[in-house]
Amino acid sequence: MTQPRDLSRRRLLFGGAAVGAGVLLAGCTSNESTPTAAQTKAADNAEGGNAAPGKKVTIGFSAPAADHGWIAAITNNAKAQAGAYSDVDFKTVEAGADAAAQRAALSTLVAQKPDVIVVLPHDGKELNAFGLESMKAGIPVVNLDRAFPDALAYRLQIMGDNYGMGVAAANFIVEQLKAKGVSNPVIGEIPGIDSLELTQQRSKGFADTLATAGFKVANRRPAEFTADSGQQAATGLFQALPKIDAVWNHDDDQGIGVLAAVNQANRKEFFMVGGAGSKKAMEDIQADNTVLKATVTYSPSMASSAISLARLIAQGKGMSDLVELQVPKEIVLASETITKENASNYLKLGF
Amino acid sequence: MSKEPTSPTGDKAPLVEAPADTVAGEVVLRLTDVVKTFPGVRALDGVQLEVRAGEVHCLLGQNGAGKSTLIKVLAGVHRPDSGQVQWRGEPAHFANPQAAMRAGIATIYQELDLVEDLSVAENAFLGHEPKVAGFVRRGLMARRTREILSRLGHGEIPPGRMVRALPAAGKQVVSMARALSHEARLIIMDEPSAVLAHDEVDNLFRIIRELTAQGIAVIYISHRMEEIREIGDRVTVLKDGRTTAANLPARDTPTRDLVARMTGRTIEYVFPDRPAAPATGDELLRVDGLSRTGEFADVSLSVRPGEIVGIAGLVGSGRSELLETIYGARRAESGTIRMGGRTLRPGSVGAAVRAGMGMAPEERKSQALLLGEPIHRNVTLATFTRYARLGFTNAGRERAEAERIADDLQLRPNDVRRAVRTLSGGNQQKVVVGRWLLGDTRLLLLDEPTRGVDVGARAELYRVIRGLAAQGVGVLLVSSEVPEVLGLADRVLVMREGRMVREAPAGELDENTVLDLVMAGSLMEGAPA
Amino acid sequence: MSESTGTATPDRPADLPAQSPPVDPAVTASLKEKPRTGGLSFWSGDGGEGAKRNLGLIGVLVVLIVIGAATRWDLYSNPDWVWGNTLTILKLASVVGVVTVGMTFVIIGGGIDLSVGAIVALAGVWATTVATQSYGAGGMIFTAIVVGVAVGLVNGILISYGRLVAFIATLAMMVAARGLAAQISGKQTQVSNNSFINGIASTDLLGIPLLVYILAAVVAAGWVLLNRTTFGRRTVAVGGNPEAARLAGINVRRHTLLLYALSGLCCGIAAIMLTAQANSAQAAMANLYELDAIAAAIIGGTLLSGGRGTIIGSLLGVLIFSTITNLFAINGLSTEAQNMVKGGIIVGAVLIQQVQFRSVTQFLSRNKLTTPA
Repeated sequence: MTQPRDLSRRRLLFGGAAVGAGVLLAGCTSNESTPTAAQTKAADNAEGGNAAPGKKVTIGFSAPAADHGWIAAITNNAKAQAGAYSDVDFKTVEAGADAAAQRAALSTLVAQKPDVIVVLPHDGKELNAFGLESMKAGIPVVNLDRAFPDALAYRLQIMGDNYGMGVAAANFIVEQLKAKGVSNPVIGEIPGIDSLELTQQRSKGFADTLATAGFKVANRRPAEFTADSGQQAATGLFQALPKIDAVWNHDDDQGIGVLAAVNQANRKEFFMVGGAGSKKAMEDIQADNTVLKATVTYSPSMASSAISLARLIAQGKGMSDLVELQVPKEIVLASETITKENASNYLKLGF
Repeated sequence: MSKEPTSPTGDKAPLVEAPADTVAGEVVLRLTDVVKTFPGVRALDGVQLEVRAGEVHCLLGQNGAGKSTLIKVLAGVHRPDSGQVQWRGEPAHFANPQAAMRAGIATIYQELDLVEDLSVAENAFLGHEPKVAGFVRRGLMARRTREILSRLGHGEIPPGRMVRALPAAGKQVVSMARALSHEARLIIMDEPSAVLAHDEVDNLFRIIRELTAQGIAVIYISHRMEEIREIGDRVTVLKDGRTTAANLPARDTPTRDLVARMTGRTIEYVFPDRPAAPATGDELLRVDGLSRTGEFADVSLSVRPGEIVGIAGLVGSGRSELLETIYGARRAESGTIRMGGRTLRPGSVGAAVRAGMGMAPEERKSQALLLGEPIHRNVTLATFTRYARLGFTNAGRERAEAERIADDLQLRPNDVRRAVRTLSGGNQQKVVVGRWLLGDTRLLLLDEPTRGVDVGARAELYRVIRGLAAQGVGVLLVSSEVPEVLGLADRVLVMREGRMVREAPAGELDENTVLDLVMAGSLMEGAPA
Repeated sequence: MSESTGTATPDRPADLPAQSPPVDPAVTASLKEKPRTGGLSFWSGDGGEGAKRNLGLIGVLVVLIVIGAATRWDLYSNPDWVWGNTLTILKLASVVGVVTVGMTFVIIGGGIDLSVGAIVALAGVWATTVATQSYGAGGMIFTAIVVGVAVGLVNGILISYGRLVAFIATLAMMVAARGLAAQISGKQTQVSNNSFINGIASTDLLGIPLLVYILAAVVAAGWVLLNRTTFGRRTVAVGGNPEAARLAGINVRRHTLLLYALSGLCCGIAAIMLTAQANSAQAAMANLYELDAIAAAIIGGTLLSGGRGTIIGSLLGVLIFSTITNLFAINGLSTEAQNMVKGGIIVGAVLIQQVQFRSVTQFLSRNKLTTPA
């Protein structure tokens, strides 16, 4: 993985020259996190001989341009996992800015006749037609995270559980509050971009589960998956609720800003649950020196799994722990709750 | 040169009318005693006009004689205050330009009002496209445009071509096609030859002849005598909003008679006395061989300190462009400009201002004023940096200086905090000129300083300009009003079609000579062609 | 029209110079100074009209606060909360406020800067790279400001010397700067580990947050720059009538260039403030700040076509927006409704300004203070 490091060195050189500020030049260090080995599945660890080099296969991959740590981690994980196999030829295309651009990029990928395509679509509905076409042309499609509505459009679908995230976060909060004996708690929520379906699913899971305990969300201030918007949303939330018992923040990236706001407003009376499972969040939970006490995962490690399973599909193999001779059609990852107690186990999966 | 028919001051000029029936055809348009006033100005003050079917009727008159207003009355833009407009035997009232169009009067303005990014056919039928159920019948429109264009002798222009891609002459044909698409019975052409090259004018005349042969009447406005002689049937002369001569035969009326009808005093120009001893001394401004393609060529001139040099010329003769080039607002293609012996960096207003030039441009509102800003900020626009210290403006000093200028120029109203927008034209012009009275202006360039300025303010402006000269400031003045140039300047340059055709002390020229020079040069003696 | 007014007939003696004092001798007399009464009021720089408009905006703010008090009296009845909330609104306004000051200059100068949000992001990201952070707070602040000014200069060069339309040049910069920011950050959220920088957002002086002081300082500097310096005068002239400014000897191109550099400088300052608030920077930060800044300037009375505008008005515009955000937050209302109300306020403010302007011109023409010419 020396390539990204070199690239970033060139970037900084270029930038330094452009500004003419020597300050920027020295101490050149990459800011691009290279995926840790632990987020991939090392080939030699695999059991049952599935990892042993088999038929040479070509895997095509496409994900939206990363504007967020999670997506960046998806791409990096996929690349790293493919690199772990000597029998995988990995072809990736940038998906561009929207569904139309991704469709165009994918058609060039299909033209190269890969054995299998792994795709994280901009929008599952809009790229459903691509899935159908590709499957019809005999190239199996592995859908990553954003479902195609049509069952014929994919060979394998592997995704996180948005509703389940809300459920997990609510369960943790309910459990904690019950333990403290709080009967009528004030609960705040800071979702990500509110117009996205995944945000709505997460919020629904959260609200449904709270309702079973007789709790409800007192105020809900959406952010935009960025730290600065998280800070502003949290500031608004604190202003509206002078006393809070618990907060669920959907996304650990925007959580950086939320924690900054906590610090700036000097509010310590509540505890917070995060979302997605970033490395920084896990470290904070482990250190136990912030209001962040837990985070519910929506792990980008699913990209690594998707590559592994795509390879098996192309080679006609099944998952060695299962009885079936082929890879299953759908896998939904459980949203796990990371707390101080188990954080050390998950730290390697943080992005 | 005869000054015979000069009219008595302030009285209505006697109407000279040629014997009728020199032209066949019924009278399509008759104007009787048409009056149109604007606040402060009687733009039309009793106009008589008679136009017959199938004739080319020429309108002559100096700038400000009321030609533009008259056109706008006929085109339905303005409504006359009194008097009668008879159109094809009926009294007519055109509420708006569309009404005039529908009645069969089409106007082709000097700035062609075409939509550059629409096709020829779309322009020709703009606003009255043949339609079925709300859809434009493009095929029919193209076919009819082609018919009209071949009627005009220009069947080669494709109806689908974008107007932007056509040369000026082609655009003019499209304007005429539009007129014909309305089945116009009268087409008014405002200086149509101004935008055309020489050989294109011949083509224009051919088209005009074809139109008149079809019984269409044409009102033709031009300053070029030879054109009037060639294409015109009858001539009506306007002066100061009145008809001074009607229905003169275009071919035989001597030029001097026509010129005489256009000149003479009715405006009281009050010029301060010219100092007895004309300015001497080293040249302040020296321009040598200045040229810009299509605007002016090989112009040389000089201005001494305290001297007022006037440039007489028509709109389009290149005089405004010349002034702007001297000022650095346009870059000369060849030639040099020297101030006090030092050559100026070409194309730099900053260099010109630093060398002591100031300019009052032709278009006050668009080129000189911040209309929403108060008077004092407009007056100090070129000098506020001089009063500033370390970049901080000195508001008190600026106000004081501006108030001094306002008092001096008798600005009305005299409150310098008032927005310039609220001032009359004359007072706005005082603000522009006043700007250069601050600081150390050594040469003032004035482009049409009294356009749109009422008589009282005019006299004050003349006084200011004279006063500046008396202080040793050189003045280079451009005006299309010949009396103004003659009355104000010490030395006069006559400019026609981008070239200097005559230079003489003001005392040696009279109005008729200058007017003749700027128009056609037919009476010109010994001047370079 | 000009032709028709070029002549006058002697039947209007009122226009004749008889009325005016005897002619001359000359402008030399002009050197005698005439004392005047009436000094410059504090508001005179912003113009009387502007001050009146600002009173209207303050009225809107008061109405918003009254609505807040009426809907959440349980909170507003506590003076401590009210004070804290006021500071929160000011803090919320601080970053956009600084950006808006730069934007106001650009718009008064006849331009537009769509790239401000992207410049904030790029400056923030550049200032938080591991390399830059190794130079400490000084290095980070220096970097953010240099990056902001440099990008502003590129905008200015493209617009004034490359003759690109401002809208297009800054739109291109908006896309490109976000791209470069994403490239530098590797699309990651870059956490700021510098306690001094992070402290900018959490430090109070005399009970008032440091961010509010920064906003106040930038606004005050902007006000002085616009109303008391030659730079401000040139800005109004260049935006009000670029041709007139050019013919008066002002270097319009150089000034335009400087305006965009100034906007970039404000973005650099804002980048530090926003990085401090979020304890981090990323390529997607300061999302749509360009629209917030333009909207605030417009409801503050800045003419989009240039030549008119006030810093105080723009500040009030920003405060109105952050008060609305706060109002919706404390009532737990959805952001969709909040955006609709913001849109309505922009339209309302512009409509009111038009009506005011029209009534002023009608008043003037009724009193024959203008003459059409």
